[in-house]
Amino acid sequence: MVEFFYFHLMPWPYLPDDFDRRHASSWVTFSNQYYDPQRGHRLYNEYLDEMEHADRLGYDGLGVNEHHQNAYGTMPSPNLMAAALVRRTQRAKIAILGNAIPLRDHPLRVAEEVAMLDVMSGGRIISGFVRGIGCEYLSLGVNPTYSRERFYEAHELIVRAWTEAGPFCFEGKHYRVRYVNIWPRPLQQPHPPIWLPSQGSSETIRWGAQRRYPFISVFTSFAQTKRLIDEYKAAAEAAGYTAPPEQIGFALPTYVAETDARAREEAKPHILWLFRRGLKIPPHFLVPPGYITEESLRKFLTAGLRSPAEMSFEELEAGGYILVGSARTVVDRLKDIHKQLGFGLFIGGGRTGDMPHDKALKNMELFAREVMPHFR
Amino acid sequence: MAHRGEFLTIADVRTHVLRGGRGAPLLILHPEYAANRWLPYHDALAARFQVFAPDHPGFGASERPEWLDGLDDVVLHYADLLDVLGIERVAIVGTSLGGWIAAELAVAYPQRVERLVLAGAAGLKVEGAERFDVFLHPIEETLQHLFHDTSRAAQLVPTEIGPDVIARAYGEAATLARLTWNPYMYNPKLERRLRRISAPTLVLWGANDTYLAPAHGQRYAQRISGAHFELIDDCGHLIPLEQTEVFTRRVIEFLSASGTEAASAER
Repeated sequence: MVEFFYFHLMPWPYLPDDFDRRHASSWVTFSNQYYDPQRGHRLYNEYLDEMEHADRLGYDGLGVNEHHQNAYGTMPSPNLMAAALVRRTQRAKIAILGNAIPLRDHPLRVAEEVAMLDVMSGGRIISGFVRGIGCEYLSLGVNPTYSRERFYEAHELIVRAWTEAGPFCFEGKHYRVRYVNIWPRPLQQPHPPIWLPSQGSSETIRWGAQRRYPFISVFTSFAQTKRLIDEYKAAAEAAGYTAPPEQIGFALPTYVAETDARAREEAKPHILWLFRRGLKIPPHFLVPPGYITEESLRKFLTAGLRSPAEMSFEELEAGGYILVGSARTVVDRLKDIHKQLGFGLFIGGGRTGDMPHDKALKNMELFAREVMPHFR
Repeated sequence: MAHRGEFLTIADVRTHVLRGGRGAPLLILHPEYAANRWLPYHDALAARFQVFAPDHPGFGASERPEWLDGLDDVVLHYADLLDVLGIERVAIVGTSLGGWIAAELAVAYPQRVERLVLAGAAGLKVEGAERFDVFLHPIEETLQHLFHDTSRAAQLVPTEIGPDVIARAYGEAATLARLTWNPYMYNPKLERRLRRISAPTLVLWGANDTYLAPAHGQRYAQRISGAHFELIDDCGHLIPLEQTEVFTRRVIEFLSASGTEAASAER
């Protein structure tokens, strides 16, 4: 049994023709003058239509996420998008993947908003927590050297706010609130499920496994995904339990069409958009000083990993960064991956990069009708 | 000039100090680059003074304590360092980040500073004046902004660049970020506090500094009572590394006027 989530980044696809040549990144310095609110209005509504459609198609959940000041994903507030979905969907869970809690000066706002959503939705909310990517520390002026400790501290404040009778006093290093007493409280008890979407530092994996928070590997190669999930399973064993499938997930851009050849042809430009334009991020944006430890950086450099931004479509496919093909091919491949990873959560992308609305609809319909039933 | 390095424990922080020369004590505070380097300007100044050139916490060979989170921590660290060295009053020469630390030290402990030289000192924000953002640019580009004659940047580039060298540079950049990410490279309270500085002060600035425009130096000179501002021609941000001879000559002239009698006579 696998739970399927329809995940959206809500990208800004209308990059200028000279983007590849003239712009070092689609983040931080890429001017918002390239954003056109009129077109944005139409896009947001298409994107939300797609997510509502996914609910009707039988996806188990809808995934939204937080990114700031870029063309990769125009969803600075995932909670707003979750709110837009709560009243227009009936059944699907709404997974916020996630709130970038260290970027907030007041994490209680996250505790409050997620509690509101949980009550409004009748307990359909999944609350992912992330650190936010390096770029966002530049874009929001938050000191990256505090990223990890702010993440832990904000997490603690939020969980306590959800679970402890208020008012109580919280005095941490970064956040101090003398009267924590949030109204409303979340509907799900003890609190909405917390997920950890991550590219996977060992520290985060261990921390998540100890708390039984589902770990979601995001946009990694198959080899990397397997390594991370194995590490998570080992950390769970070390914590005294065996990680069940419902704690293991990964996010993978996926495209299904009538045949393998057609799927590749239709998906290719949009997948390359995602990796080469949406994720065009120079290293000094991606890992600003202190965002990771010196040790992690040394390991990363020594491993000499290639960036998927430099790979061809065929390399992305062979590396397992994407899943593209006929329903038959996708089912077979996913079964194989399932056997190897034992995942219970699949976060598939529907409208990758600059994919148009009609392709997105066709993709999600084929996936829901011809792939998902094989895993029920 | 002979010099040696040693480790001192300053309130639990293992601190690396380069020292050399004889004479009146002189504390040299390095910029955000070139920690743990005994450079020609150290040599020239050590010919006249007893030079102490510590690596800031989290730079060079000095450890970065977990609690380090502001310039005030660095200032107290250096006050403790002077105590450990048994130095009551000292002349200070600081460049860029080191200049900022020197200014804050002179604000906090005006009575302990004999004379003060600020060379391209960070620490102030001047509305409309150019500041290069080191965190927004790759190091290759930053190097171009540290020197007027960009060929001089080669002296900061290690001969071999591998994972260890990059990780170490990343660690120093993390210390810099910890101290200066936001507000970027300045302390909003410093300008108002500069009036506390009583030491004779020389403010030197590269005439061609595109890292931190000379207007910042003029502001320092305006706010520090009696300070003297001087532009160095054909020079970018790292004055002691680019115009070593002019720099050391001016600094020695200025510091040599600072015998106890001369200094009090000036006041």
